Amino acid sequence: MAVSTNVNAPKPSTGLSAELGKRFRSNIQTYTIILALIAIWILFAVLTNGAFFTAQNVSNLFRQMTVTSFLAIGMVFVIVTGNIDLSVGKLAGFVSVVAAYFQANVWYQMIPDQPLIAAILSVIIGVGVGVLFGVLQGYIIAFLNVPAFIVTLGGMFVLNGLILLVTQGKTIPANQPYFSEIAQGYLPPIAGWIIAAIVVVFLFWNMFRSRQSRARHGFELSNLGLELIVTIFFSLLVIGYVYWVNQYRGVQTPVLLLAITAMIMAYISNNTRFGRYAYAIGGNREAARLSGINIRRSIFLIFILMGLLSGIAGIVLASYVGYGTTAAGQGYELDAIASAILGGTSTLGGVGTVFGALIGSLIMSSLTTGLQMLNVAPAWQYLVKGGVLVLAVYADVYFKKNR
Amino acid sequence: MSEDIILDIRNVTKRFPGVTALDNVSIQIRRGEIHGLCGENGAGKSTLMKILSGVYPHGDYEGTIIYDGKELNLGVGAIRQAREEGIAIVYQELTLVPNMTVGENVFLGKEPVERGAIDWNKLYADTRDILAKYRLEVSPQSVVKYLGVGKMQMVEIAKALSENAKILILDEPTSALTESEIDKLMEILENLRSHGVTCIYITHKLEEFFRITDSVTILRDGRTVATLPTRELTQEKLVSYMVGREMKERFPRSHRKPGEVIFEVNDLHAVDPNETNRKVLNGVTFNLRRGEILGIAGLMGSGRTELVTTIFGEYGKITRGSIKLEGEEIHVSDARDAMHKGISLVPEDRKGQGLVLMQSILKNISLANLDQFSGFMRIDGDAELAAATQQARALAVKAPNLQVRVDSLSGGNQQKVVIAKWLLTNPKILIMDDPTRGIDVGAKYEIYKLMNDLAERGVSIIMISSELEEVLGMSDRIMVMHEGRSTRTLEIAEATQERIMALATGIADELVAA
Repeated sequence: MAVSTNVNAPKPSTGLSAELGKRFRSNIQTYTIILALIAIWILFAVLTNGAFFTAQNVSNLFRQMTVTSFLAIGMVFVIVTGNIDLSVGKLAGFVSVVAAYFQANVWYQMIPDQPLIAAILSVIIGVGVGVLFGVLQGYIIAFLNVPAFIVTLGGMFVLNGLILLVTQGKTIPANQPYFSEIAQGYLPPIAGWIIAAIVVVFLFWNMFRSRQSRARHGFELSNLGLELIVTIFFSLLVIGYVYWVNQYRGVQTPVLLLAITAMIMAYISNNTRFGRYAYAIGGNREAARLSGINIRRSIFLIFILMGLLSGIAGIVLASYVGYGTTAAGQGYELDAIASAILGGTSTLGGVGTVFGALIGSLIMSSLTTGLQMLNVAPAWQYLVKGGVLVLAVYADVYFKKNR
Repeated sequence: MSEDIILDIRNVTKRFPGVTALDNVSIQIRRGEIHGLCGENGAGKSTLMKILSGVYPHGDYEGTIIYDGKELNLGVGAIRQAREEGIAIVYQELTLVPNMTVGENVFLGKEPVERGAIDWNKLYADTRDILAKYRLEVSPQSVVKYLGVGKMQMVEIAKALSENAKILILDEPTSALTESEIDKLMEILENLRSHGVTCIYITHKLEEFFRITDSVTILRDGRTVATLPTRELTQEKLVSYMVGREMKERFPRSHRKPGEVIFEVNDLHAVDPNETNRKVLNGVTFNLRRGEILGIAGLMGSGRTELVTTIFGEYGKITRGSIKLEGEEIHVSDARDAMHKGISLVPEDRKGQGLVLMQSILKNISLANLDQFSGFMRIDGDAELAAATQQARALAVKAPNLQVRVDSLSGGNQQKVVIAKWLLTNPKILIMDDPTRGIDVGAKYEIYKLMNDLAERGVSIIMISSELEEVLGMSDRIMVMHEGRSTRTLEIAEATQERIMALATGIADELVAA
């Protein structure tokens, strides 16, 4: 019996436009969402007579999206495994009031002359609280078999109570100089350019390295011209962004922090066992179990990770608003879930990307900023956001069916 | 043609890509009889039932079905329509809502309504009447989940009859019942017959045909072999009709010499881990030699899958007996532990248990083996790709590249991906649960050759198969299971289809051998 294997047969590179079409079809979800983002931007640019794209506004827009973006990144992992976390908003809020509490009441007495150490300790305590809460929830979900929806719903109530206990219903300032830099700081323009240069070099290096690796294993290489165009496009995006925010006050510290976190998480999702197992568990729990994957452990770790990211979000939140309040983090979990889903994360599990969640988060925050600039009443802002979320998911369902 | 034929199936053919499930099947069923349907796994019984119940609509098959005087013309998705026409199936896997009462279940979707509200009194009164008429002894107000399987089946029957079913199809109704429940069911069926309800009765337990049916149709390889009045049949005759006589040369044979015994299972008893009073294994004993292919035969529900998943540490709770690997007793805690000990399992349900369908070939092959390619954190993508490529090449997986999603592959190629995943774990013992189910003949042949190669290289293989020919064609020895027990292990030289079938159906071995 003649058995041909064409696993390794290198195919001639196809034409540029044909390949572009193929790529579009295979990643239709990612492209749909990016197109939606661009459409929203253009709409706001027209309606605001260009004010939407001023350096100051762009800078603020990206700064604003950071808190929910940290949550959205973690939420991707949680939803990918087929779970949900409703407590993240309140957890970030609780972390922010704890950080504020220590600044206002503790460091002030213990180490009055050490603002830098105080800031560092605030971060450590805040992130630690996030992780601890993640450990607790993750343990109950993974090892005591209580559904995540219920555990985190309960967690939300508990955290709300804890916030009230810490704040005593009052607002606590969190505005020590170094701590404020975390979410309100800007890099000097030259530092921004150095980072841009590093990113561009990395993009090209990564492209050639992956091509080399594919060639070594005899895989079909995609059109070099196309890959160059994509890489150059992303490079220009980075350069353009740095140029534009430098027109205002420079690259925003929290955005840099978010970019680094997102890159680490994207790497984890693709290149570690932890990440792979998360997708396998969400994709087919039974197959994952029979492949020897320790499902409890994976789920446990996912919720710890979610706690860690909630901790970071809480620190950024405290630094961003400058105080801890009773309403801190209210509703952020819904923004995070919406961002992840807008970005293509499947509520059925198994599918979702960090990159998508960032785009989703950017859409949410663009809508907020744009509608505020147009003086749209908050009531209508909610209506628009809800509509966009459902419409985006419907568009995805529609395209999948009619591909 | 003076007989009153309620259902006349004429020359029905149903093809799937690569397989003809029904080939020119003709059956006539008389009004008011209990008609048995008999055949091996894969003979076409369930395909036929799916046509009658509207899962495969009219036009999806060739041939005609005359039902109650007119052609049966079920539209797409017409399961509901089939029920309204009066054809009802009582599935073995029961389809009741556990938290509802008997009455609510019987009238689910057709509740009697009085001025916009459900008329509960009428609902329960009607339920009571139906139950009484057919002597189904169950209370209309009982909550279904507290009933035993036998009673649940009565509710299913009542539900079908409440829709004025003219034909009741019973698919393996006794497989989960106790002896006394079976007696009760037989009484109910006789009562139904006296009320003029026609039944089609499918079972693997041959003695039941003689107990209850008026006539029996035997299917084999998608064809009708014969329809005979039950009184003209004997068990031996039935078995010989089921298995046929010829055996085609579809199996590559290698000349291997199995080595020493490396794996022993002794008097294994196990219970369902979720319902510890339900026994799934009642004494299984066999051994396996190095480089041997041991076939496990048995009908569905005989405990074959339960046996191998228990060995793999993923199912049954062992209550008695031992498992020895290379002379040492082992206790396998879970799949990961089994893999470390050198046991791998290609599971029964390729899509449900074997693959992450939305992921690429590469990710599926490496899923069970990421430890091999990982340092503390990072997966070495190059090493992963190289190993997966090598496996895919060795198994001749046909795909443009390894980044392709597995759900775009054919069944045979999907199965090769599952096998590739498990071969990458480098097993000493490879358990394959129905490895060629639902794949085409060409891919089957490739998998057979692969199994021979592995056996020659010293891998010991346990193969479960529902196809007798496959078991006979591939195995060095054959262990036959019946009701959770190992009956006998036959050397290939002494094994025949009749003997295996006799052991698997629980008829004494000698009966057929004589």
